[in-house]
This record gives sequence, structure tokens and C-alpha cells, in this order.
Amino acid sequence: MLEPISVSLESLNMATLAPMLIAICGALIILIIDLFKDGLHKSLYVMLTLLVLLIDLGATLGLGVNQRGFFDLILIDGISIISQALILLASMLFIPLALTSKRFHEYSYPEYFALFLFMIAGYQFMVSSDNLILIFVGLETASLSLYTLIAMHNRSNSYEAAVKYFTMGALAAGFFVMGSAMVYAATGSLELYKIAEVMQSRMDEAGVMVLLISSGIMLLIAFAFKMSLFPFHTWGPDAYEGASAPLAGYMSIVPKVAAMVVAMRIFGLYIDIGIEEIRTAILLLSVLTMTLANMMALVQLDVKRMLAYSSISHAGFVMAAIALDTTKANSGVFLYYMLFLFTNLGAFSMLWISRHKNNKFHNRFDHPYEKFAGLIKVMPLGAVVMALFMLSLAGVPPFSVFWGKIYIMSSAVDAGYVWLAIVMGLNSAISAYYYLKLIVYMFLKEPADNDGTIYYNINKPLMTIIGIAVFVTVTSILYIQPLLQYITYMVSASGY
Amino acid sequence: MDNILSILIFFPAFAGVLGFIVDKNSARAYGISVASIEFLLAVWLWMSFDGSNGSMQFVEMLPLVPDFGISYYLGVDGISLFIVVMATLMILLGMIGMSIEKDIKNMIISLLFLEMTMVGVFLALDAVIFYLFWELSLVPMLYIIGAWGGPKRVYASIKFFLYTFIGSLIMLVGMLFLAYLYHDVTGTWSFAITDWYALVLPIETQIWLFIAFFFGFAIKVPMFPFHTWLPYAHGQAPTIGSVILAAVLLKMGTYGFIRFSLPILPDASVYMITPVAILALIMVVYTAMIAYAQKDMKQVIAYSSVSHMGIIMLGVFAMNSEGISGSIFLMLSHGVVSGALFMLVGVIYDRRHTKMMSEFGGLASIMPKYAVIFGIMLMASVGLPLTIGFVGEFLVLLGFYNISPIMTIIAGSTIILGAVYMLSLYKKTFFGEVTNDENKGLKDLNSREMYSLVPLVLIVVWLGVYPKPILEPIDNSVKSLVSFMDKKAQTQEAKDIIVSPKKEEGK
Repeated sequence: MLEPISVSLESLNMATLAPMLIAICGALIILIIDLFKDGLHKSLYVMLTLLVLLIDLGATLGLGVNQRGFFDLILIDGISIISQALILLASMLFIPLALTSKRFHEYSYPEYFALFLFMIAGYQFMVSSDNLILIFVGLETASLSLYTLIAMHNRSNSYEAAVKYFTMGALAAGFFVMGSAMVYAATGSLELYKIAEVMQSRMDEAGVMVLLISSGIMLLIAFAFKMSLFPFHTWGPDAYEGASAPLAGYMSIVPKVAAMVVAMRIFGLYIDIGIEEIRTAILLLSVLTMTLANMMALVQLDVKRMLAYSSISHAGFVMAAIALDTTKANSGVFLYYMLFLFTNLGAFSMLWISRHKNNKFHNRFDHPYEKFAGLIKVMPLGAVVMALFMLSLAGVPPFSVFWGKIYIMSSAVDAGYVWLAIVMGLNSAISAYYYLKLIVYMFLKEPADNDGTIYYNINKPLMTIIGIAVFVTVTSILYIQPLLQYITYMVSASGY
Repeated sequence: MDNILSILIFFPAFAGVLGFIVDKNSARAYGISVASIEFLLAVWLWMSFDGSNGSMQFVEMLPLVPDFGISYYLGVDGISLFIVVMATLMILLGMIGMSIEKDIKNMIISLLFLEMTMVGVFLALDAVIFYLFWELSLVPMLYIIGAWGGPKRVYASIKFFLYTFIGSLIMLVGMLFLAYLYHDVTGTWSFAITDWYALVLPIETQIWLFIAFFFGFAIKVPMFPFHTWLPYAHGQAPTIGSVILAAVLLKMGTYGFIRFSLPILPDASVYMITPVAILALIMVVYTAMIAYAQKDMKQVIAYSSVSHMGIIMLGVFAMNSEGISGSIFLMLSHGVVSGALFMLVGVIYDRRHTKMMSEFGGLASIMPKYAVIFGIMLMASVGLPLTIGFVGEFLVLLGFYNISPIMTIIAGSTIILGAVYMLSLYKKTFFGEVTNDENKGLKDLNSREMYSLVPLVLIVVWLGVYPKPILEPIDNSVKSLVSFMDKKAQTQEAKDIIVSPKKEEGK
């Protein structure tokens, strides 16, 4: 006969679950509303989602640092709180982009918004746990929702993108499970802190070490797929191209932040106990990623694909910070993504507002460079805003991404990896070329057969979002100090 | 006014933003007014500057990111003061002489933003703020070359941008490493240059840092073999772009050596004298020879400008107060003279739309005023005594004689080489018969061009005859720099080579 299990509600510490529950309840509410009355306008759902996200953000920021809950499955520490805040901020910027003046297929389904909230809950689970199974469940919940969101854009290349992403994601999931199983075989646990203890005590056993290193490699491959690191990046640009522009921008931030946090937890542990092979592997991957993705971005004909490769390169840049595994580097990761979020989403929104139903400028691409030729004459403000985003992405001071770059480069120097800082610097210089290419097209070329309808999809809500992104990009010098202070405090409080 | 430096930096930028509202037809007058006010502010700064004091004045300090040691930190000394004055003057005169009609408003706004970044570079005392203005200066220049330049303008502007960007990112790593070392020693983060001066570093570290900074500065100067972007940029840039590029932007590189490399890394600087001097010499002689081979007037002046930058580099690495003061003075005179020469080429280009020397001949009889001014500037460029060019060149050669007499003699040969290509340019364009019928109807300088050129002629003569009012404040700051370097140097070799004023008195 089974023993009765008594669990007190206090020991569950349900507050730690609140942010995810809010997102899930919000999603259910949206589905229920649709049951009662269909045909409601998308603006209702957008606003509801926004409100849910707002409450979610409040709940997240209200959490105390370093507590566990729900059978110790949930771990709320500093990095979990800032990464959740980051995910929510990005989502709040993203969701109003649905308020286009033109009709798009996906937004007519309330399920789109429900899935979106489920996805966010998935990511929140993923970043606030140190249990490999819960991480996996969060990851899969989020990913499956994301595949669907991509496919809902309802174009043939969206299906292609979703299926590609799905296949690769499934492969990555396989690697993740395999890696976790090997960790379990070696240590008999799935909780990271227990794994660390066991690892430490069995460092001298060759068999265990082999198992651990190969499990580390497996997990690294899984995350390399998720973060689209070279050579596991091939799905990336196609998926970005097929997804709608805002979703592509979103994909370049949120899934990567979530994966970075988990990578920080898992590989930080490997590096802490002295498995240098993992550090070397991460460094190698990140250097290759930033360099080769940059090279690929140079030859792209489409701005969206260029931005896709550039996001991959940025991910490689940040991944290098994980290998450094210092408090400064880990803070740098969050600082970088906090700044990159606004700039990159802003750049993708600029593509979004210039989206046409049919490809007017090129028979294959939505956003060929030629489309933006002479934009300064057609639409001066749009050209200036886009140029600001490009300069920021290239790392020209005083725009926001520069501060992230300088901080991560500085942490590389501090950790004794001067060569890494130089590689990062050179890569920024290479990347300047393709960002400049767009600026050159916009400012220095004559407008080609352009009837002034580039910004076909523009309206007030979208302009507001872009305005926020510009503001944050330009005024970064004023808020770096408090932001940095907060992030550093949170990261060091959780011991990374 | 204690915050005059901030005003100097941000006034043009603010005016630039407001400039978007100004009507297109009045944009030029607006730009000239703003630039005049800015120039008057710079002159005011000069007047209220205490020339006998060699240290930083009008210091402003405001922590921006204290956790990371970044602060808004400005100051001016004799080294930067006159470069700032010269920069504001050249912008003003360049604007007056500018003949561009197309998109004039965009041009004026770009120039005003460029002015902010240039003044900012010379006044910043925090490495990050310095870097910020340094990088930002590329953007308006990219636009100026790319939008108003010649047929290959896009290529030239991107080449210019990328070259400098790569160099400065390597320099940024050097800065981050210095900040890290500072943090290692003191436990606090700081990017303030004056804090870094206090760092005493091992020789090997100094050499690595020197190399990192060298990339950033040498590309900007531009030193051989990194000079290839410059002829392109000059060849394609509109007149105003060339004027600003030659007069001010190149000076950022040499200024950087004086502000960063010498005082922070004195031992490495002494250690690197020979390699740098050899590069500088190659630059001096080789580009002078290239200049002689050019058929395009503007290219002659572009290469001659590189050649003179080589002399400035020699002066910087003379490690004594004559050489360094001379090189700073030469920066000013080079700014005035090469700026004026580019304007002069622009004048003829506006009339004939060609810069080929073979198209001209006998211009002296058709455009006498033009020929006179061109002649004066040419003499100043060659370094004729009693012109501005002579003072700096003489001091630099005098200073570098202590390091290596042979190299000094080779460098002195540039005065001859310079005379060769400049005089042949003058001969081909101004003397002889008027062979080309198209040249017969050319008009002489109009009043707008006179307004922009005559002040420069006056400066050339005034400072050539009586350089003291400028040379003295420069010299005071340089002396305190040199004695600081002497005190800080660790190796005996460095101590022997750095000739501080005190040692001289003791002799």
C-alpha cells in the first residue's frame, strides 16, 4: 500500500510559479473568450495579451531572489528574474506589432495569442529551473508553440521555415535528452546542484569523466541547435525568412536568451568543476559562429536574411561570454541582450512596416537591398531611424549595442582572453560592412522605381513601438549605470 | 564660463538638430552663422586660457557609468587648444568657400555634427568618450564623401569607414586592457586618461599596448602602409570633405599618439622610435615621390599631405619638447595650408570640372589673384622661411636631430622633394602660354572665395613671422608632458632619450 503523501501548501511556495501561471491563465482566458464570441477584432486580443504580460512582469519583478518552490523544481534566482523580465519586455514590444493596418492571416486567429502566451510560459519554466526534465519540458512547450506561430504566417516559405525549424528542433531535443540521460547515468541525479556535488566527488574516475564530457558535448550540440551556432545554424536564415518580420526579430532574442540562461547554468557548472574541454568547445563554437555568420551576411541580397545572419553572429558573440564564466561576463550577456532586444526588434519592425503582400521589388525576396535605395529622399525619417539601428548593431558608440559589446569585450580582457576580445573587435568591423551596405543604399543611391509606398504597412501602433526602440537605442548612455548595477547585483546574488 | 568645453562640443550638434527646421535656401547662411559663433567661442576659450600653465584647464567631470569607470571628463591644454581653434576655423572657412548647391541643407547639418565629433575628440579626457567621438566622426564623413563625391564615391567612403573602424576596434581592446590593468592595481575602474597616466607598466605590456593603440592611430594618420584609403577618400571627396579630412580628421591620429601613447607608455614609445621613424620616413619620401608622378592636382596635394604627416610623426617621436611642440605646430600649419590648397583646387574644379594638370597652363595671366594665393600656400607647404610651414618643420627636424642625424637629413630632403613636385605643379598649371582655349574665359576668384582664402593667407604669414603667441602655450604643455614622461620612464634607455627641460637646464 502506498504511503500517503502530505505536502503543505507553504512548502510548495506557489509564488514562484505565479509568473508562469499568469501567462497560462491569460492564454486560457483568450481561448474562452473566443468560445463565447468569435469574430472579435485582433486589437482586443493584442491588448489582453499585453495586459497579461504586464501583470506577469509585475509578478516576476516582485519575486524575491534565491527561493525554491514546487517540490524544489523551480529555482528563482537573479538570472531567472532578469531573464524572465527580458523575455516579457521583448514580448511586450513584439505583440503590438500585430496591429498592422493590413490584414495578416495569423492575427485573425485568437489561438495565435494563446499559443504566444503558452510559449512565454514555456520559456519562463525553462529559465527558472535547475531540473533537467523541467527545463526540457519548458523548452519543448515553447518550441512547439513557436513552430506553430511561424507556420501561421500562411505562406509556402513559412511552412518550409516551420518544418525546418521543427525538424532541427526535434533533433536538438534528442541530443538534449541523450545528454541528460548520460548525466543521469553518471551522477544519478537530474538536479544541477546535486549533479555538481556528485561530479566533484567523482572527478578522479576516468569512466565517469568520459561520460560527463560526452554528455557535455551532447548538451552543447543541443544548445548550439537552439541558439543556431555554427555548424548547427543552417536552419536559421530560412526560418527567419519564412517567419513574419516581427517574429523573426523575436526569434533572434527570446529563444536565445532562454537558451543562454540554461547554457549558463549547465556549462557554468561544467567549467566550475574544471572540465576545460567544454570551455574550449564553447569558445571554438562561438568564434566560428561570429566569424562565419558575418561572412555569410556579407553576401546576402536580402536585408532580412542579412539581419538573420547578423543575429546569429551576435549570438556567437554573446555565447563566448558564457565560456568565460565570470560574474562580469554573465552580466554582460544580459546587458547585451537587454540592449540588443530593442535595437534588433526595432530593425525587424522597420522591415515589417515595409512589408508588401506581393514581392514588388524582387521575385524571390521580400526585402532586397534595392527596395531601400534612396530612402532618404522618399522617406527621410524612416531612413534615419533604420540607419540608427544599423549603426547601433555595428557597435558604433554611443548607441546601445556598443555598451554591450564593450562590456563583453572588457570581460574577455579581464578573464585573460585578449585574443578573444580582438576577434570580437575584428568581427564588429566586418559586420560594419553589411550594415553600412544598407546605409549606403538608403542614403547614397538614387531611388529606383519607387512610388513612395515602401512603408506600406505603417500605422500609429507600429510607429510607437519603433519610437520606443529608437529612444532606448539613442539614450542608452543615460541608463547604462542603473541597468548595469541591477544586472550585476542580480547575477552575483545568484552566484554566477 | 566653466563649462565652455561642453558648450563648444554640443553647440554645433544642437544647432544641427535645429537646422532641420531651417529653410533650405537659408541653410547655408545658418551654417555659416553657427560656425562663426562656434569659432568665436573657441577664440574665447583661447583668450581665457592661461598660456603659462601647462596642465589641464576648464576641467569638467561627471560620472556616467561609475561601476565601469566611465565618466564625462573634459579638459583642454596647450596641445589640444589650438587644434580645436583650427578645427572650428576650418569648418567656418570651408563652409564659406563651399560651392555645393545640391542638398545643401543635409551638407550643413552633417558638417555641424562632424564639428561636434571633432571638437569632442580633442577635448575628451576619458578614453570611452574619446572613442565615442572618434567613431562617431566617421558617420558624417561617410555621408559627405558618399553623397557629394566623385564617381567612385561609395567605394571610397566605405573604404574610409572600414579602415578606420578596424583600427579603432583594436585600439578599443587596448583601452579595455589598460582599464583592466588599472583595475588590477587600484581596485577601481577608470577610463580617465589622467588616471592612466599614473600607471607604471612592465615594458612588455607597454609594447603590446603600444601596438594596439598604434593600429588605431596609424590608420588615421595615415601611416605607411595603412595610407591607401586616403588618396581614394581625397580623390572622391567633395572639396569641403577633403578640407576637413586633411585639416582636422588626420590630426586625430597624431594627437592620439601625443595624448595616449607617449605619456601612458613612455618606455614602449622610446623602444618603438626606430620602427615608427622608419615607417614615417618611408611615408615622407615614398609618398613625395608618388606625388611627383600624379597627373591630378588634387592627388598631388593629397599625397603631399600624407608626406607632411610623416614629418609630424617624426616630431612626435623626437621625445623632446622641440620635436613635439614642432609637430603640434606643424599639425596646425598643415591643417591651414593643406586645407587652403584643397580649397584652391576646388576653385578651379568648380570652373572647369577637371583637376588634370595637363588641361591647364598659363593660368597666372588669366587668374592673377588665384595664382598669388596658390603661390603663397604652395610656398608655405614647401616650408619656405617666414611662412607657417617653416616653423614647424624646422622645430621637428631640430628635435629629431637628437635621435638620429641621418634620418633627420633624409627627412630634410622632403623639403627639396616637396619643392620639386609643388613647383612642377605650379609650373604646369600657372606658367607658360594659355594652351587650352577653354581656360581663356575663366573668371578670377569671386568675393566668396576671397573671404574664405584671404584669412588663411593672413594666418600663414602672421604665424610664419611671429609664431610665439601660439608656440608658447604649446611649449608649456609639451614641457610638462616631456618631464612627466621622463619621470615615469623606467629603463635607462628611455631616460636617456627623453630630454626633459630640467635636464637641459642642468647641462
